[in-house]
Amino acid sequence: MEKKGITRRDFMKASVLTAGAAALGPGVLKPTGVWAATPKIKGPIKVGYQAIMSGALAGYGEFHKMGAVMAMEEINAAGGIAGAKLEIEFRDSTLKAPEAIKNARYFVDSWGADFLAGVDSSGQALALAPVMKELDRILMVTHAATEKLTEEQVYKKGIKQVFRICTPTYQDGNAAAFVAKDLPAKTWATISPKYEYGYTCWEMFKNTLGKLKPDAKFVAESWAPFGTTDFRPHINTIMDANPEGFYSTEWAGELITFVKQAKQAGMFDKIKHVLFPVGAAMDVLEGLGNEMPDNIWMSGRYFFQYPDTHINNDWVARFHKRWNHYPAYVSETGYSTMYAFKKAVEAAGSKETSKVIDALAGMMLVSPAGYRNFRKEDHQAMYDVPWGLTKSDPKYPFKVMGKQVVIPAKECFNRPPFEGPETMPPF
Amino acid sequence: MKRFWTYVFIALILAGLVSIGLFAGRFVVYLSMRVLILSIFALGYNLLLGRTGLLSFGHAAFYAGGAYGLGLISIHVTTNPLLGIIVGVGLACIMALVIGFFCVRHTEIYFAMLTLAFGMMVFSLIWNLREVTGGDDGLVGIVRAPISLGFASIPITKTSHYYFFVLFCFILTVALIYLIRRSPFGLVLSGIRENDRRIEFAGLSVRNYRLAAFVISGTFAGLAGALGALLESNANPFSAHWSHSAEPILVSLIGGIQTFTGPVVGSVVFILLREIIERFTQNWMLWFGLILLIIIMGLRGGVVGGVAQLFRRKRSHVAKSGGNR
Amino acid sequence: MLESIVHVCLAGLSTGMFIWLVASGLTLIFGVLGVLNFAHGSFYMLGAYFCYTLLGLMGDNFWLGLLLGPLCVCVVGFVVERYFLRYVYPLALPYQLLLTFAFVLLFDDLVKVVWGAGSIGSPTLPGLSGSIPILGRNFPVYSLFIIGVGPLVAIGMWALLEKTWWGRIIRAASSDREMASAIGVRVPALFTAVFIFGTWLGAMGGGLAVPYVGLLTPGMGESIIIDAFVVAVIGGLGSLKGAFLGALIIGLLSSFGTRFIPTFDMFLTFILMAAVLLWRPQGLFGEAA
Repeated sequence: MEKKGITRRDFMKASVLTAGAAALGPGVLKPTGVWAATPKIKGPIKVGYQAIMSGALAGYGEFHKMGAVMAMEEINAAGGIAGAKLEIEFRDSTLKAPEAIKNARYFVDSWGADFLAGVDSSGQALALAPVMKELDRILMVTHAATEKLTEEQVYKKGIKQVFRICTPTYQDGNAAAFVAKDLPAKTWATISPKYEYGYTCWEMFKNTLGKLKPDAKFVAESWAPFGTTDFRPHINTIMDANPEGFYSTEWAGELITFVKQAKQAGMFDKIKHVLFPVGAAMDVLEGLGNEMPDNIWMSGRYFFQYPDTHINNDWVARFHKRWNHYPAYVSETGYSTMYAFKKAVEAAGSKETSKVIDALAGMMLVSPAGYRNFRKEDHQAMYDVPWGLTKSDPKYPFKVMGKQVVIPAKECFNRPPFEGPETMPPF
Repeated sequence: MKRFWTYVFIALILAGLVSIGLFAGRFVVYLSMRVLILSIFALGYNLLLGRTGLLSFGHAAFYAGGAYGLGLISIHVTTNPLLGIIVGVGLACIMALVIGFFCVRHTEIYFAMLTLAFGMMVFSLIWNLREVTGGDDGLVGIVRAPISLGFASIPITKTSHYYFFVLFCFILTVALIYLIRRSPFGLVLSGIRENDRRIEFAGLSVRNYRLAAFVISGTFAGLAGALGALLESNANPFSAHWSHSAEPILVSLIGGIQTFTGPVVGSVVFILLREIIERFTQNWMLWFGLILLIIIMGLRGGVVGGVAQLFRRKRSHVAKSGGNR
Repeated sequence: MLESIVHVCLAGLSTGMFIWLVASGLTLIFGVLGVLNFAHGSFYMLGAYFCYTLLGLMGDNFWLGLLLGPLCVCVVGFVVERYFLRYVYPLALPYQLLLTFAFVLLFDDLVKVVWGAGSIGSPTLPGLSGSIPILGRNFPVYSLFIIGVGPLVAIGMWALLEKTWWGRIIRAASSDREMASAIGVRVPALFTAVFIFGTWLGAMGGGLAVPYVGLLTPGMGESIIIDAFVVAVIGGLGSLKGAFLGALIIGLLSSFGTRFIPTFDMFLTFILMAAVLLWRPQGLFGEAA
């Protein structure tokens, strides 16, 4: 098995490049393109990026970094943002709210960041929102999925500094229900994380599926605490309930452990319809390899096989060449974040927060994941992510998507003003 | 003469702390607040560890008590921070009384394990009582409204204003802990550490004294928690986790548990060190662990004890050479 | 219903025996050296990673990896005891705990630097990943293996401590260090040996975890060490018999709790831990001092 993560040499290369560019400065790195003539923006554009880089989920930080660093290299090689060089500094977020706040304050007040990005945990994202207002800098959330961030903090409390480029819990709860409605399963059960994310997604799944298919029944739920390594007691609960369909928002390492243990217990032989809303994550697919069963529905925040466009396929190839990995969804969101900043700054002609907010809100971004539209009201990026059935492919050392179904974001994302049943799908 | 220099030293430190609030940049002010809040936490904690020798692994629960007490008042009742702080500190105090009542029956490793168990119970309660505590998302939306005293109102919304409030609480804590250590009560506590049998023979209830020390330290943990929640405008469940209880222990040991100023110096070293390490590597745990090893193996009396020893050695050296002449 | 109860029981037994494998070394080290070793979870993690690496080098021979991997960790254990821990025995409890805590931080990040930050799914091992039907429902063969290994380790340790010359010396040194050294036992060397043995037990737990948990992550020792603490306390700190039975209780409690009490949580295990400490600090099965 090959070693994961960014190797030291890759990093050395990247840092030598960055350091070299910084030392030589604009004398060598001549701006090209439209902005060559009149660079309006002074100094480099600095992005402070925080992600989890220690402990069990440290792999996510590496994937975040790969995407963001690659975008930085490409943007700077092509003349930077409006003629200004892009700089990124990374910090470990440790998943704890006070650390996230300290990092944000360090980035803005000490390092001089113009923009912030990253953030994996929902609790951190929610805690950061008021801080972003105080610091008056834009935060682009690339992983945290809680719908409360955009519905309550951005839309209701009016914290305009926060944007989200990844899909929120709607994709994991609502979209899953659209997939489930066409399956011949009436009884459903779940093993999901015993925290807000798990509870919220299952609640959304139940509500939406209940409306789409009134005879659906939800027969068992078992909540696995954070850091569970032994899912066997939970699996027993599900086997006893004997449902036709199974839904789980377990993710990362815990999903790997769960699938292995469920397979041993013969769970996938008994339950034919299985939905993993965050199963299409590269760490899970690579970690499981051939052990991921076939014909499982999975999705994520982005999957490298979709959309089948020139832009995406080209990007995946470049990414694979650069890092010897297929891009994880956080790599794509990290990468696209830098391009979103680039486009907004160039449209605003300034890196001033209020102007860039105006440019970002309602902006259409062409990205590897397809067209992204930042919804004006809640700053949520609207874009489509596929659901697909797992299958083997000799081209890849892991399972990929065979049959795909796309539930358009417009159809499955909650809509402003986020109150009452008519703001939730189906519309 | 010695007392004079002590006063000069204290005045200099105070002037330094005030000028941080007046002139320093926003991040320095923020980081200083974190140092001050951790100092309050550790000063209270070290009253237990340094004076009675009891090692608690559950004080994060009281910190969280202060944070959640303030948060719930701020969100549901009134945004006046004063009431929030009083409720938070009161909640921490009651929790410490109840938990302490059970825990002081033991000492040494049994005490440590008992406090660990109770601390983790509080953690899992906070994690699971989602309707009240917000689960793992924590309490979000705590605002720093002005402190209204009826006749006057002190604004603390701005970071630099809030700094002076935290500084005030810090000075208050230092003064109180100093007085407690100097009081007959404090002397009995250190007597317990040296020889609890003798105290028992003197007709004093060792258990009650330990409980009192436990409650006082828990109350200061609550104050730190309430101030921390106001600083970060949220209360999060990890603040009750046992790994957070390790922080005041770490800080006290780094600074020196047998000294009064140890926890404060330890807090400065702890936060600055981590900040510096993080500026050049993301593998901060590796470097932090290494430095911790050096401190434990090299400076048994902590930084303060080590420096004091160095001075003493120098002075005795000077005295010796002077005598020879 | 019967099949359900049997399977919940089996799952509880395997969970319990798995925790026992890790807690045994922790308990032994505490019983003899008087040190509660936070870094024991790190030895578990290192055991898993070494085992995984050797597995890759030697063409998926799990048993050879399991034999050699923990031996590599023993070298680490030796260095930790001989050059660090030995010097803090005379110091107060917080110093010992903090020293082991420093090693936790160190090893967690070292694993990240050496083996990469991402989690590693363990390779499929022929013969170990199968399952057999019990009452019409599949049960993993490897879990049965764990259920069998647990008591074997317990019997082995009992025989070692009670029936051998070496065991008698260990028992003597743990009950009275000074007397033992007075009659010519080289106590420091003995402590090093016991620490290495405890390390080996923890690392073997980690090696066995490679197929059992199916996943290696930096920081994987942190969740198991708390379980091991709980078990060691419930059994009475330092008592191997108690730790064995404590592990069984925790395993079965969490399995039955997860299945039959919807609101079941770690909360209950901590209540049990506190109750034992308050009413029977010598452990559920210990005799009153």
